[in-house]
Amino acid sequence: MLSRNAQGLYWISRYLERAQHGCRLLADQLRTLEDRPVEEIDQTWRRLYASLDREPVGGSLESNLDDEDFMLADSYTLADDLTFESSNPDSILNCIATARENARQVRNVISKDMWYCLNVAYLKLSKVGIADIWDDRPGDFYLHAEDTIRTFSGIVDSTVYRDDSWHFIQLGRFVERVQLLAALIEAQLTVFPLTEAHIEPEWRSLLEVCEARGTFSRRYSLEYRPVNVINFLVSDLRLSRSIRYALARIVTALDRVSEKRPAREARRLAGHMAAYIDFDWPGHDLNDTDATRTVLRELRDRSRRVHDNIEITYFGYEIEDTPGT
Amino acid sequence: MNREPKAHLTTGAHDTAEPASLFSNYEVNAAFYDEMFSATGVPREHCKALWEHLGKMSSADIAALQDRTEQSFLHEGITFSVYGDESAQERIIPIDLLPRVLDAGEWGQIEQGLRQRLHALNLFLADIYAKEPAQILSDGIVPADLVYGCPQYRTQMRGLRVPLGIHVFLCGTDLVRTHGGFMVLEDNLRVPSGVSYMLANRRALKTSMRNLFRMHRVCGIEQYGKLLRKTLAEFAPTGVADPCIVLLTPGVYNSAYYEHMFLAREMGVELVQGKDLLVHNGFVYMRTTDGLQRVDVIYRRIDDDYIDPLAFRQDSQLGTPGLFYAYRMGNVAIANAPGTGVADDKSLYAYVPDIIRYYLNEEPLLANVETYLCREPEGLEYTLDNLQDLIVKVVGGSGGYGMLVGPHASADERAAYAAEIRKNPANYVSQPTLNLSCAPCLTDEGAAPRHVDLRPFVLCGQETRLVPGAFCRVALRPGSLVVNSSQGGGGKDLWVLPP
Repeated sequence: MLSRNAQGLYWISRYLERAQHGCRLLADQLRTLEDRPVEEIDQTWRRLYASLDREPVGGSLESNLDDEDFMLADSYTLADDLTFESSNPDSILNCIATARENARQVRNVISKDMWYCLNVAYLKLSKVGIADIWDDRPGDFYLHAEDTIRTFSGIVDSTVYRDDSWHFIQLGRFVERVQLLAALIEAQLTVFPLTEAHIEPEWRSLLEVCEARGTFSRRYSLEYRPVNVINFLVSDLRLSRSIRYALARIVTALDRVSEKRPAREARRLAGHMAAYIDFDWPGHDLNDTDATRTVLRELRDRSRRVHDNIEITYFGYEIEDTPGT
Repeated sequence: MNREPKAHLTTGAHDTAEPASLFSNYEVNAAFYDEMFSATGVPREHCKALWEHLGKMSSADIAALQDRTEQSFLHEGITFSVYGDESAQERIIPIDLLPRVLDAGEWGQIEQGLRQRLHALNLFLADIYAKEPAQILSDGIVPADLVYGCPQYRTQMRGLRVPLGIHVFLCGTDLVRTHGGFMVLEDNLRVPSGVSYMLANRRALKTSMRNLFRMHRVCGIEQYGKLLRKTLAEFAPTGVADPCIVLLTPGVYNSAYYEHMFLAREMGVELVQGKDLLVHNGFVYMRTTDGLQRVDVIYRRIDDDYIDPLAFRQDSQLGTPGLFYAYRMGNVAIANAPGTGVADDKSLYAYVPDIIRYYLNEEPLLANVETYLCREPEGLEYTLDNLQDLIVKVVGGSGGYGMLVGPHASADERAAYAAEIRKNPANYVSQPTLNLSCAPCLTDEGAAPRHVDLRPFVLCGQETRLVPGAFCRVALRPGSLVVNSSQGGGGKDLWVLPP
C-alpha cells in the first residue's frame, strides 16, 4: 500500500477518535451545567482542559466562582474553543475537517460510503457555530456529531478490506485512544486526588465519558469507587474504551500489518505496556495518586513512541532502508 | 426571447390548468443550429422519442430532480476548484439534466475525423522530435519558428524514442457545431480533463431519470476506465508483463483533483503525488508500506514544467527529481509524453489541416475554424480592424483564461485588449465569432436554448479507442458563448444512439 495512503488512513482514524472523545467530554460537561454547583463545573472544565493539554482561553480558570452567570458565560466561551475554534487544531470541527481532508487525499482507496459519510458530516457541521447550538439543547449537537463518527466506524467495519488499510485504521484509532485515556485519567487524578473524600458524580462522569458507566455498574456496583473506576478503565481487556483493550488491538494490528517491514520497536513497546498492565499493575497501589499518575504518564509517553516508530517505518522511511534495484 | 411578460399575463383560470410542459416556451433561433429541433415545436427525427418523453414532465419536476442531483454532486464531492477564488474552493460543475443527442451517423463522422486528426498529430510530433530539421519543416508546410519558437517545444525530447512512437496517448478535442457542420475548436493534447464529468453526468442522469434509459437505447460509455487502463498498459517498458500503472496528480488543491481520484479508482491504480515517487538507479519507485515498488507507466496529470525539477522547472515541488532521466532510459513510460503542447498551440492549430494532408494524403474530415495569426502582419491587421466581431485567444492559454469575446466586450475593453495585442502580437490568434449550436437547457422558465460544445476523448495506443460519448459543455448564461467550467459553464449528458 502506498505509504501516503497508509498515513492518510491512520490520521483519519486518529482525528475521528479525537473528535469523538471531544464530543463525549463536552456532552458530559454540558450535562453538568444543568444542575451541578459552580465549583464542580469549574473542576470538570479543569479536568477537561488538563486532559487535552490545552490552556483554557483567556488564561487560567481562576474564574469568579461566586458568580454563577459568569461561570456559565465562561462555559460558552470554553465550549466554543473546544468545538469550533479555528485556531485550535484539536477543536471538534477541526478534527473532522482534518479527517475529511485526509480522506480526500486517499479517496481512491476508501469506500465511497466512507467518503460520503465524512463529507456530508463536514458540510453540515461547518455551517453551524456555538451561537446556533447553545440556546437549544447544545448536547444534541455533540450527540449528533458522535453519531456520525459511529456511523463512519460502522461503515469502516463493513466495507474496509482487511489488508493494510484496515490495520492502519486500527492503529490510528487505538494509538489515539491510549493517549486520550491515559491523559484523561491522569487529569482526573490531578483535579480529584484520591486523598480527598471522593466526589462520586465526577467518577461517574469519567465512566460516562468512556462509555463505561452501565457496564461498570453491572460489574462492580453503583458505588463509583475511584480505585475500581481507574482499574476498570486501565486494565479491563473486555472494555473497548480501556487502555488494555486498545493495546491489544495495537498489538494485533502490528502483528498483521506489512509482513515485509515489521515495526519492531512499536511492537515491543506495545507488548511491553500490555504485559505491564497484566502483571505489574495489579500489585500497584492505586491509592498512591502520584505513582499512578507517573504510570499513566509513562504509558502516554510510550504510546507516543509507538506512533513515532510507525511513522518512520511505514510513512517517512529513508531510502537506504529499502532494497536496491 | 424575453418571456417574462407571458408569465404576468397568466390569468387565474390558467393557474389551475396543467403545469406548463417543459418545451412549451421553447423557441428555436434560426441563427443557430438547434441540437433538438429543426424548427420551433418540430423535433429532429432522432430526438423525437426523447422530446415526447420529456414533454410529459413539468419544468418543476425536472427542476426538483436537478436540485437533488446537484446536491448529490456536492455530497459526493464531484467538485472542481477555480483558481483565484478563495471563497468557493470547491464548486460543482452545474449539470443540466436534459441530454444532448447525436445519432449514429453524426457520431461516426466525429469519430472518423478525430481518429484521423490524432493520427496526423502524432505523426507530426514524431517528426518534429525525431530529427532536425523535421521533414515537414524542410518541406515548408509549417514555419519552423512556429515549432522551435514555441514555449511548449521541449528540446529535452529531441531524438528521444517514445514508447510505441506515440506522443499523445490521450486527447480531448473540443468540437462545436454550426449550420455548416462540426468543427474543431481546439486540440487538447497535454493533460486534457473532463472525462470524469462525462461519466458522472451519465451516472447522475441514470440515477435521477431511470426510465429514460429503459425507453431509449443509448450507447454505453462506462467502459472508459477499462480502455484507459488497457491503453496505458500498452506503453509499459519492454519485458514488463504486468505493469504497475500510476496516476500522478499535483494533489488535492489541483482544480481537477476529483477527476484524478475518480480515474485512479476506475482503473484500479494508485493515485500518487510527486513526493510518493523516487528515482533510483534509473528506475522509478513508489514508497509503499512494504518498501519501494517499481513503477512502469505514469499517467501524469501534471504539466510538463512540473514533472521533474532536474529536467524542467527547477522550482517545481510537484514532480520527482530524476523522473525524466528514467524516462529517457526507457525504464518508465510517461503519458502523454512531455512536449506535446507544441501541437495544440493555438497558432499551430491553423496548420493542422495541412498537417493532415501532408502525412496522410487525405482531406481533413473535420473542419477547422478560420484562424488569423497575429504573428503575421495581415492577421494582425485583420484582427485589430475587426475586433468587435472576433474572438481573440492567448496562444499559450487554456481554460478560457485571458480571451476576448469581441461582440460582448465594451469599446474600452476592446481598446485595452488591442493595446495588449500590439505589445506582443505573436501571443494572439483570432477567430470569427461562431454561431455555436444550441441545445435545450433547463431554466427557471422551462427549457431554453443555450450554446453547447462537446469534448470527446480519444485514446491512442496499439490501436485508437474512443467511447461513444463526450463531456458536453453548456454556456449556462443566456447568450453566452463561453462554455469553460472556470467561466461559469456547466455540463450535460451526451447520448450517442446506436445505428
